[in-house]
Amino acid sequence: MAKAVIMPKFGMTQEEATIVKWIVKEGDFVETDDPIAEVTTDKVNMEVGAPAEGYIGGIRFQEGDTVPVTHIIAFILAEGEDPPEIEETPAATPEAAPPATQAETHSETTHATPVAQRLANAEGIQLSTVKGSGSDGKITRKDIDLHMGSETAVSTLPKKTRATPAARRVARDRGVDLLSVEGSGPRGRVQEGDVRTIAKKPFPRLASSSLEPSGEPIEVPLEGLRRTIAERMQASYQQAPHITFTADVDMSRAIEFRSFANARLPEGGKVSMTALILKAVAWTLRQHPQMNAYVADDRVTLFPDIHLGVAVAIDEGLIVPVVHFADRKGLYQVANEVNDLTRRGREGSLMPDDVARGTFTVSNLGMFRVDHFNAILNPPQAGILAVGRTVRRIVPDDRDQPIVKPMMAITLSADHRAIDGVLAARFLEDICTALEEPGSVML
Amino acid sequence: MPENRELTYVEALREGLRQVMEKDESVFLLGEDIGVYNGAFGVTAGLLEEFGEERVRDTPISEAAIAGACLGASLTGMRPVGEIMFMDFVALSLEQLALQAAKVRFMFGGKTKAPFVLRMPAGSGTGAAAQHSQSLENWLVHVPGLKVVMPSNAYDAKGLLIASIYDDNPVIFVEHKLLYGTKSHVPEESYEVPLSQSRVVREGSDLTIIATSLMVHRSLEAAVQLSEEGIEIEIIDPRTLNPLDDETIIKSVVKTSKALIIHEAVGTGGYGGEIAARIASSEAFDYLEAPIRRLTGLDIPIPYNRTLEYHAVPQVENIVVEARKLSRGEY
Amino acid sequence: MSKTKTKTRKTEDLSQAMLKQIGESTAREMLNMMILIRAFEEKADELYILGLTHGTMHLSIGQEASAVGASYAVRRGEDYLLNHHRGHGHALSWGSEINLMMAEFLGKENGYCRGRGGSMHIADIERNNLGANGIVAGGIPIAPGVGVSIQLRKTDQLCLCLFGDGAANEGAFHESLNLASIWDLPVIYFCENNQYGMSMSVDRAFNIERISDRACAYNIPGETVDGNDPLAVYDAVFRAAERARAGKGPTLIEALTYRWKGHSKSDPQSYRTRDEVKEWQRKDPIPRFAAVLEGAGMLDEDMLKAMRDEAEQKVDQALAFAEASPEPDIATIMEGVYA
Repeated sequence: MAKAVIMPKFGMTQEEATIVKWIVKEGDFVETDDPIAEVTTDKVNMEVGAPAEGYIGGIRFQEGDTVPVTHIIAFILAEGEDPPEIEETPAATPEAAPPATQAETHSETTHATPVAQRLANAEGIQLSTVKGSGSDGKITRKDIDLHMGSETAVSTLPKKTRATPAARRVARDRGVDLLSVEGSGPRGRVQEGDVRTIAKKPFPRLASSSLEPSGEPIEVPLEGLRRTIAERMQASYQQAPHITFTADVDMSRAIEFRSFANARLPEGGKVSMTALILKAVAWTLRQHPQMNAYVADDRVTLFPDIHLGVAVAIDEGLIVPVVHFADRKGLYQVANEVNDLTRRGREGSLMPDDVARGTFTVSNLGMFRVDHFNAILNPPQAGILAVGRTVRRIVPDDRDQPIVKPMMAITLSADHRAIDGVLAARFLEDICTALEEPGSVML
Repeated sequence: MPENRELTYVEALREGLRQVMEKDESVFLLGEDIGVYNGAFGVTAGLLEEFGEERVRDTPISEAAIAGACLGASLTGMRPVGEIMFMDFVALSLEQLALQAAKVRFMFGGKTKAPFVLRMPAGSGTGAAAQHSQSLENWLVHVPGLKVVMPSNAYDAKGLLIASIYDDNPVIFVEHKLLYGTKSHVPEESYEVPLSQSRVVREGSDLTIIATSLMVHRSLEAAVQLSEEGIEIEIIDPRTLNPLDDETIIKSVVKTSKALIIHEAVGTGGYGGEIAARIASSEAFDYLEAPIRRLTGLDIPIPYNRTLEYHAVPQVENIVVEARKLSRGEY
Repeated sequence: MSKTKTKTRKTEDLSQAMLKQIGESTAREMLNMMILIRAFEEKADELYILGLTHGTMHLSIGQEASAVGASYAVRRGEDYLLNHHRGHGHALSWGSEINLMMAEFLGKENGYCRGRGGSMHIADIERNNLGANGIVAGGIPIAPGVGVSIQLRKTDQLCLCLFGDGAANEGAFHESLNLASIWDLPVIYFCENNQYGMSMSVDRAFNIERISDRACAYNIPGETVDGNDPLAVYDAVFRAAERARAGKGPTLIEALTYRWKGHSKSDPQSYRTRDEVKEWQRKDPIPRFAAVLEGAGMLDEDMLKAMRDEAEQKVDQALAFAEASPEPDIATIMEGVYA
């Protein structure tokens, strides 16, 4: 009867051992406990003894091979006996292994470093959706971070509601949508009482007499995009000391230039005044890199690339899609992108990247009857340009004679923590120049 | 018997020891300087004269042997009560407590029992600096097989001590140096306060404070102050840290929706984490109106300097501020 | 085997020989130090009684000869010192500054431990005083580590490990002496037997004649000396130091002395008689050593008086320094826990 010789477990944490030397060879006769092989663990060299008396046969590993503990390495056979069929399973299970709860991760075939795998697992990221930048396209920790970064950009739009466990319980019981509840707790957290108030609140009654009040005030909670805007604007207004500078721009040449450009455009295209202004701003930003910056966490970050946000009004409020690399794109391309972004913004089909990475913002209300206005900084950007309407005004000409010209007021808001008045003034001046001499900068 | 009979914490402990020793020959005491010196804090005063050197045994300075001797005697029919002079020195007994006493019953298939009590005073406030001021109860809470009791007043001290002596398990009995002189009503007769029963020390509706040992008193003082501001605090004293009666705590937090845990021991890895976890993973979770907060000793050794020592552990004014903020919804 | 011995030479012969070895100026300096220690501790006692200090305190009044004899026999401030809780005298003998000690005693920011340690934990790391220990026998297991370090760094330093009679009954004593013995470590185990571990007398705590008898269990020399005679202590420690520096391993020295005051300030001392204390006070090491020096023509009345006045002056100045020193800033409370 063949007796299996297994790789023994010598240490508490030992999982495998390497065969250093076979002391016996096939066919040798051994007595019980005779050493038959020398093996090494990470700590020491040990001898494997014969578990029975008989002839060595069916040696399954060479010297130098590393064998998991409890795997069969050879057999002790009776005289003339053949070694039994090779089984791949270990002869014994050394210790009951805990159930593999992470089987899914192991079955993942994507190539990734262990850290990246763990991170992806923890964040619930499908590794197959991540692009690897490591050697052989291996996914690294950085890739996961990047991937998560782009996901966070998406999540800046709708927000999770802060609410205490008690508020959540009452909301659940009363069927109240927590999103509709204004929180009175710290950082706007919804407390139990807030939910109870909403749950109790009657619908506004209609007035029964003309002299009676028309109804209860209607509270519209700041929620969703509105809430995001509210928080960001409040934070910006409170944290960033705004300084504002207004200048009048003679738009005669800009208007000419736009007509000139539009006349040469292929069918369907249209260069908006907004696009022209964006080009002028992008060019000016290239001359004043300090303005192309973020101010946050006690530091100023200057960006080598210029990504211009364009404030677009939609029903729910305001969104700011971004024309990336605005200074490196031609006027037509910028114009096309602005048109496209505006359309998609109104349709609600912007992609996360369309609203990400802006370094400076332009808000144009020139289509309304607004002469000039001050914009609140779009945090953490250091500057924003507010553009009013273009009106025909009487201004003095070169010889101080009255002349009618199309004039437009632009107002720069800058974060005074990072931007000094002189810098802002020069920047504004150069935008004016760019718009007054469009030919020199647009092409 | 006068209803208002008051004893100090020390007197109550001593009375408990005496009453048990009178009744039960298997109970004896051992420790450093517990005989003619009366114990470093006077708990065993007079017991040497009363019971003799056989049953009130001074030992050399050998904390491992004190714990080991308690275990050995308890395994063989006795109910010893050992004293470790300062809780800090339990570090020297830990092998016998954590690796031996806590394990023998389970490891031997439930066939032995080790009914002994090891008393030790914890706590700062005496200017004894880093090696004589610690509150190390959580070291022992972390060892299944040991019971950990921490009385906060004279009544509980006597009743819990007697119950601990009659408990069939090793009981770590954590006293507090600053409580020794505090008085409360203590009945003359022998009585037991059952282990593993938390006590509602004060009822209130706005916030639950779970406090141990000396911190129960400081919390009470804070509660009186806050009551004048209209904040009513419920205070719970777990009394036995392990095994813990968490039902009383959970019930209270369901009622008040807010929990503040206070202990003198350092916060990191401290007992407050355990209580917070019990609350957060219970039905009380759905009633929480604010984060569960802890107010604990700073994560530093106890300093010698009086001012620094004062600021190293929670004081009444810290509790007032923290409880006020929590109950007003500032967290 | 063990070379335990109590008195090998007659006290007088020894004194003369030792005085010759030590030299006149060092001998006088030793007496001076004993007087300074006494003055420091008497002031400490006074401050405590007046409620001007915090916490507890352990006085070594009556034991000054052990402290001074041991320190002066090694390279104070260069060798390593592991001190025990009754350690004011050792710190001063080791060369620590009395001003900084007093500041620590009052819990001030510029004290040796920034006011964090206090009386029981004075360390003077610059002088290789690795600190006084509040745990009985706490320093004993540290000594072999210091010894190994000296061995590995191949310096000719040694470690003077101080502890009391009570500490010899902690398990750590055995582990440490055995380790130092098998590795031939340069450690001097110096047991100040002041007759009591708190209330536990040596008679009750030990079943052996001499604590130094235990040396035989480790096959190292053990010696008991008169701990109230600085020259006898010097002699024994000096020989142990030679042995240690020669790579021959540790020595256990027991110095017989007596603690005049209670264990700590809260000790009612009901475990000993007044007569016993008085009897030991008659063996006061300071007048005794002064007499030896006078006998050898190294000291006269005026010099002694000058020493006493100077010591008191230094202590008063130290107290003034300490009182004028700043309290620690509460804002720094978290400092120093981690490196």
